[in-house]
Amino acid sequence: MTKSEQARPTNPTDAAKRLYQIRFWLGIAAYVAVVLASTYALNNGLTGTWRIVVALAPLVPIAVVFASFIEMMQRIDELERQIHLEALAIAAGVTAMLAVTYGFLEVAHLPRPSAWCTYAVVMIAWWAATPFVSRKYR
Amino acid sequence: MVGGDPVRIAEIPVVKNRIRVLRAERDWSQAEVADRLGIARQTVNALEAGKYAPSLPLAFKISKLFEKPVEDIFDSASVEE
Repeated sequence: MTKSEQARPTNPTDAAKRLYQIRFWLGIAAYVAVVLASTYALNNGLTGTWRIVVALAPLVPIAVVFASFIEMMQRIDELERQIHLEALAIAAGVTAMLAVTYGFLEVAHLPRPSAWCTYAVVMIAWWAATPFVSRKYR
Repeated sequence: MVGGDPVRIAEIPVVKNRIRVLRAERDWSQAEVADRLGIARQTVNALEAGKYAPSLPLAFKISKLFEKPVEDIFDSASVEE
């Protein structure tokens, strides 16, 4: 390490993204473990209120990942945050348009999709919109 | 969207600045400036290219880093009225 590298402060944007990546993968590992455990419990005779509690248990690691995401968004570089927020705005708009479109199609008796579809559409649209938005700042 | 710019999402306020010149005078890389300001290298690139107008706090940090008044770094005449 050179002297100038030693003198440089740690970049908070890079540190925030590294911390989020660690928390994200730990959260995903915890999510998979909780889903497997809760599925096993639900398929093996769990009854009553505990069935609902166990079915909702995977939300805990998801909430942890979400909280980490919010923290990362608050700590990252302002341009990166702007890019993500613009991409999320586009994703929200795309999802709303698709939801309205499919709502009309339901009137024509098309099957009602799972609520998971909304989540998938938001994430895919966000992922697709991010490079599109960041392009204008290059 | 065949060729040319894609659909315009929003107008980017262009603010010309002297960051590239000031950085070259100090023989700093974009990555070094980014680390000193605590921002991403891509943001330094966008600032230098005039593609991104920084927030007021970031503009003051840039001013402090280069030890120049904000108005000596950013060209107020380049902002459309």
